[in-house]
Amino acid sequence: MNSAVLLSVRGLRVVHRSTGLLARTEQTAVDGVGFDIARGETLALVGESGCGKTTTARAILRLIDADAGTVRYDGKDLLALRGEALRRHRRQMQIVFQDPFTSLNPRHSVGAIVAEGLIVHDIARGAEAEARVARLLEEVGLSVADASRYPHELSGGQRQRVAIARALAVDPEFLVLDEAVSALDVTTQAQVLALLARIRAARSLTCLFIAHNLAVVQQIATSVAVMYEGRIIEQAPAAALFAAPQHPYTRALLDAVPVSDPRDRHVRIPLAGDPVTGRARARGCAFFPRCPHPLKNADCTTAVPPLGEVAAHAFAACIKVHTNLETT
Amino acid sequence: MTALLSVDNLRVAYADRSGERRAVVDLSFSVEPGEIVALVGESGSGKTATALAIMGILSSNARVGPGSAVRFEGRDLLTLPERELRDLRGRRISMVFQEPAAALNPVMRVGDQVAEVALVHGERSTTRARDQAIAMLDRVGLPDAATRYRAYPHELSGGMRQRVMLAIALLLKPALVIADEPTSALDVTVQAQVLQLLLELQKESQTAVLLITHDLGVVAETCSRALVMKDGRLVEEASVDALFHAPCHDYTRELLAAMPRLVRPRVVA
Repeated sequence: MNSAVLLSVRGLRVVHRSTGLLARTEQTAVDGVGFDIARGETLALVGESGCGKTTTARAILRLIDADAGTVRYDGKDLLALRGEALRRHRRQMQIVFQDPFTSLNPRHSVGAIVAEGLIVHDIARGAEAEARVARLLEEVGLSVADASRYPHELSGGQRQRVAIARALAVDPEFLVLDEAVSALDVTTQAQVLALLARIRAARSLTCLFIAHNLAVVQQIATSVAVMYEGRIIEQAPAAALFAAPQHPYTRALLDAVPVSDPRDRHVRIPLAGDPVTGRARARGCAFFPRCPHPLKNADCTTAVPPLGEVAAHAFAACIKVHTNLETT
Repeated sequence: MTALLSVDNLRVAYADRSGERRAVVDLSFSVEPGEIVALVGESGSGKTATALAIMGILSSNARVGPGSAVRFEGRDLLTLPERELRDLRGRRISMVFQEPAAALNPVMRVGDQVAEVALVHGERSTTRARDQAIAMLDRVGLPDAATRYRAYPHELSGGMRQRVMLAIALLLKPALVIADEPTSALDVTVQAQVLQLLLELQKESQTAVLLITHDLGVVAETCSRALVMKDGRLVEEASVDALFHAPCHDYTRELLAAMPRLVRPRVVA
């Protein structure tokens, strides 16, 4: 394993269980997910609603339990951490959630929200904590005076800046951004993205960036993993993935993004159907029912296609892509 | 050509604890028959208040200012009695909302919700209304429409629910559809399906569409003309091509600069 790897996930599996009146249901939200993130890199986990990207992040952060797999952080087995060791570890990895309206406690002032981590982790108290909060607020583009305000007095963009300041307070080296700019208006989104890029560089952060907007991902990610139905179906350095997507789902996903110039309008054949989230998964490739690949056939339904190498550092889980590579 | 819809000096204000908040200020624009016009703006720009004012469905704490007029097919919707408005809604002018899960009646079969439009507007035969609804559900791409007619909204995916909304809105081939962020709650592959369907239906029924969106990509993809709103005011009106290539207003330029743009892969045939 590369020594620069900070986070290494292998075979991650998360099953959502619910016990209803009549039946217990089990739904595998994440299955066999694995990836490495090197120090200073930003891996984007992309996919549509219900593909398992948020569940993956939550399992890595130990916010929910994984059913199988390993998660190593700087060599340390995260899934084995308990009690005080887990609590201490949380300082290293922080998260910014999508919705700053629900992720900030409405009864706490901005100052109290940002200072909480400092106090919980015994980093600073009193005047020292106040001074740190002031510096953090300035770092995220807010002012010291904002410390005494409450979340409802702030705009969506300002709240998200508070959420970022809160995450940075404990000086983490790893940041999970779970659709952190998705709920923002486009001009605010651009500002917050620019802020995140600055902070990432200044603090040498390693990031897991969860998003559904591929244009946003292209701006910030160094590598990209595309998820479909709980599995990674393609993974590659960002430049390679956007220049030469291999998996038919990745291609369809990119093609579905609206053009950014009316002169680029083109006839497209939208991907048919919906992901079959939660329903009985077909055997073999989960994308098979919607797949537009010209060579798709019964072979695709015999086994789950493995994530195989298609180019240097680029992987795709499609047997037809691999067949094509072998014959050309 | 006479405009199908012409909005003149529209003012909308909401009463709240601290007094009055102006949502729309002196807004004037028109929509020609069969054209697709984008109403673009960020949260709080007044685009949804504009739509609700045109439809006459503003909430009770909203007030339309004196001097405002909304002319549609020669009549002023703002002064029309509720009974006549009801006759127009669903037949000549209809609306598609962002959240089909919230807009559809959760305890009514989706097919009945489509058939209801025909029944409310003069169809006497429930059988004919039902057949019309099935045909429309089939047209909007609901697989096995005759069976899905009996489904409840929660049994359908988000994309399918929005197809049902389009079926309801376009059943009687209205002259104007106001679509308020119709694809914003959908995933990108489903958004592409629904936008394409909207364009097909628009073409077939020669309906004009006022497409309300915050997404300039959706505008670039579908509209011929665009109106840009900021803080309740119209700041720019232009053809979509001019808007993207020669924006006049600073705010439009700011929006365009902030728009995340995907640099596309070279297409290999």
